[in-house]
Amino acid sequence: MKKTHILAILVIAVAIGAIISMVSDAATYADFATAEQMVGKEMQVVGQLNKEKEIDYNPQADANSFSFFMVDNQGTERKVIFKGAKPQDFERSEQVVVTGSVEDGQFYADKILMKCPSKYNDGRPDELTEITAESNS
Amino acid sequence: MIEYVGENLLAGQVGEFLIALSFVSSLLAFAFYFRSSAISDQVDSWKRFGRFFFRLHSAALLGLIGILFYLIYTHAFEYYYVWRHSSTQLPTRYILSCFWEGQEGSTMLWAFWNVVLGNILIFSSKKWEGVVMTVFASVQAFLGAMLLGIYPFDIQIGSNPFVLLREHPDMINLPFTTNPNYLNFVEGNGLNPLLQNYWMTIHPPTVFFGFASTLIPFAYAIGGLWKRNYQGWIRPALPWTFFGIGILGLGVLMGGAWAYEALSFGGFWAWDPVENSSLVPWLILVAAGHLMLINRKKMRSMFSAFALTLFAFLLVIYSTYLTKSGILGETSVHSFADGLPGQLIIFMLFYLATALYFLFARGWQFLKKSEEDAFWSREFWIFLGSLVLVISAFQITLSTSIPVINELFGTAMAPPAKPIEHYNSWQLPLAVLVTLFIAVSQFLKYKQTPVKKLFKQLAPSLILSLLGTVGFTYLLQVDKFFVNLLLFSSLFAVLANLDYFFRMLKGRVKKGGSALAHIGFGMVILGSVLSAGNQKIISKNNTQININFEDNENANNENVMLLKGDTVLMNPYYVTYTQRRNEDKFVYYDMDYLKVNAQGKYEKQFSLSPYVQLNEQMGNVPEPSTKHFWNRDIFTHITYADLENLDSNSQERYGEPDTLKLAIGDSLFTSNSIVQLMDFERNLNNDSLQLQENDLSLGVTIRAKTMDGRRFTATPIMVIRGNRVFGIEDEIEELGIRFTFNGIDPDTEKLNILIEEKNKNSGDFVIMQAIVFPYINVLWIGIIVMVLGTLVAVWNRIKQKSKPKN
Repeated sequence: MKKTHILAILVIAVAIGAIISMVSDAATYADFATAEQMVGKEMQVVGQLNKEKEIDYNPQADANSFSFFMVDNQGTERKVIFKGAKPQDFERSEQVVVTGSVEDGQFYADKILMKCPSKYNDGRPDELTEITAESNS
Repeated sequence: MIEYVGENLLAGQVGEFLIALSFVSSLLAFAFYFRSSAISDQVDSWKRFGRFFFRLHSAALLGLIGILFYLIYTHAFEYYYVWRHSSTQLPTRYILSCFWEGQEGSTMLWAFWNVVLGNILIFSSKKWEGVVMTVFASVQAFLGAMLLGIYPFDIQIGSNPFVLLREHPDMINLPFTTNPNYLNFVEGNGLNPLLQNYWMTIHPPTVFFGFASTLIPFAYAIGGLWKRNYQGWIRPALPWTFFGIGILGLGVLMGGAWAYEALSFGGFWAWDPVENSSLVPWLILVAAGHLMLINRKKMRSMFSAFALTLFAFLLVIYSTYLTKSGILGETSVHSFADGLPGQLIIFMLFYLATALYFLFARGWQFLKKSEEDAFWSREFWIFLGSLVLVISAFQITLSTSIPVINELFGTAMAPPAKPIEHYNSWQLPLAVLVTLFIAVSQFLKYKQTPVKKLFKQLAPSLILSLLGTVGFTYLLQVDKFFVNLLLFSSLFAVLANLDYFFRMLKGRVKKGGSALAHIGFGMVILGSVLSAGNQKIISKNNTQININFEDNENANNENVMLLKGDTVLMNPYYVTYTQRRNEDKFVYYDMDYLKVNAQGKYEKQFSLSPYVQLNEQMGNVPEPSTKHFWNRDIFTHITYADLENLDSNSQERYGEPDTLKLAIGDSLFTSNSIVQLMDFERNLNNDSLQLQENDLSLGVTIRAKTMDGRRFTATPIMVIRGNRVFGIEDEIEELGIRFTFNGIDPDTEKLNILIEEKNKNSGDFVIMQAIVFPYINVLWIGIIVMVLGTLVAVWNRIKQKSKPKN
């Protein structure tokens, strides 16, 4: 076998590996109901912050614990727990995207991405500021 | 018809004319150059016309850019683009950022660099001028079309930067559009606060310069295939390819420097889709450049050389599509999309089809008759290195393209939840391979190298880098296998090339461009491994008990709360949050970093002032502050701060009262003191209190003691007038506390005390994060060395080229 052939086979193998790793590392867009059926699997849920309910952040007690209630696009509401500091201006968020998994009926987020409407555009949805907060646990 | 006051309509009309002129003249330049190339390589009248129209196009484009700058500079908010991207408050130095923030401006920036390079090529490309400029003019036509802003058959072609604010679709029917004096009160929307940073004025132009320079090798490669001059294109294209590698590499890494300086994710590289899509063309361009090097003498892997050269430019368009079409949507922190996705797809498909046609119609032959290189030859190892770069680019592109894959195949994948881990798991091992190849291949000879001699030459740097790795591992307590491995391989790359530079090249800089560039690249990787791979978060939460997550061992404790005046241990420092300063739209939080000296006293080492940039429209942005030492950086940023009650008026206001039932002798903590109820005060003079004669009054003496031992007293008074009870408050001004005593519970005999504190007492805390990045300077120096080395190599090659060959 020629070196070129060995290389070609290696390259194809690595390329397939890259595809598999992409698929397996990709999070899945889901709602809370789906996330609950797939306990432990990383899911990405899109929804809105429930501004009526308590947004709990008490830095004096623990600067790294923050929780809030979020309604997904199907209308299901769950408590979301984030082990990190509360993102600045969180209350202003229009849309929240959380990445994480469900345990005991609560969503443990390790990444929060929020979009805030811009004042000058009457909150048009395409005019959004994105802010990420990440907990590196 | 409304007569609007103060509008500068002429500038826009001239601008629109220049858009049309630049578009039409680029089409004509394309037509004439195309016709000329089809006939001959000589300078004929077709070519002269081509030149004329390309120059006309250049002049029109420069005029266009000048007008837009002028409008931004004069705050001509009657134009939507100017209104959207700038404001009168914005410092003039950010005018460049305003210019390119929008899609139209960045398209103009790209076209500008193409014009600069195109005009150089008219002079320098000699017999290649016809084909190369055909490609350039065609690209300019595609870019020009993105500025047209016309709507034939209801299809939008391009977007015109000179649209008036009152005529913009978003503003239709808003009341101001019918007010003739609207310019008196319209204020610009302003620039994204993240972009108000000096890096942001130089990083994008550099990246676009790099992007534009990928077009030169692309044009030469198309020319080589078109004219069936399969090897001749490499010689003139080679210096430009490495020029592009230098500039684009600098631009990409400047983006990292910006992220490190201005963003608060804590690092310079986060595998963000926008970063990725500028890195990938660079990787492919590097691979292409190296393949050109080995094919210039003997056709070895000509097909790959063509393919990679063509794809470097195609990936630039793809990168533009990713960042400008809005398809990244939720995944990226910074895609400033205004979106002309369809047009970008046509742009991309046109050149993809062109490239594939030439590649398969003309280039296919090279794939079949490829010869094998010897294992210990420089060309084989360079080929291997390029292959690894291609795999690296493939993996990054694949995972970054998840939104595109969803669009194409209807899947519902979300980008990796942990991008850094995901990309690192591939890119770390690949970087190990690349750096090993870099170390070895300088000592390899073309055709065949005696293996024994090779290892003898490599031995010193190999041994030194093994020792160095052990040293760093001990010093930084590295415990991750791949980090260790990459530490070794990148150190090896640096030392082997240093060795080569000093021993083989005797330190001659002129000849050493390639060695220097490789030293620089090795240092970039080494610096990344040392700093990012061993970063240490020192803002660990040492004191608080994490109630909610007691059973979770991974509980994240990387943020610390600091009260004003508090001193908290952040090993090896003690950090005090001393004060908050409001300056214009910036809120600075001053932090003193202290160490305990021999006498056991705190000694200030340095201070950092991370800050928050207040921005009503686009959200407040925290920005870090970093202390640079030669061997490490201390990086501090605010993760959370109470941004309400910032102005001094509301600072002085009292917050919500606490109502407490206390007995004499009871004590409690306020935010800045210990408060104790001492005794009743009965000897009160009703007259001096301006009370009525029959009022019953009773005071209570309250003593407050601060942490540093200062004592204060206050005496709030309860008054009974008839059947009404009320309190006269007393304030301790120095502490910003006031007390009201307004009743006694008859059963328990406890006193009803209200305690109020000023907002400035309670609001003044921040949540912050502090990270130590060891040896990050290796990275920055590496960037400079790499870019300078590359430019030296380019310079040397140009000088060689201009010398007559014997």
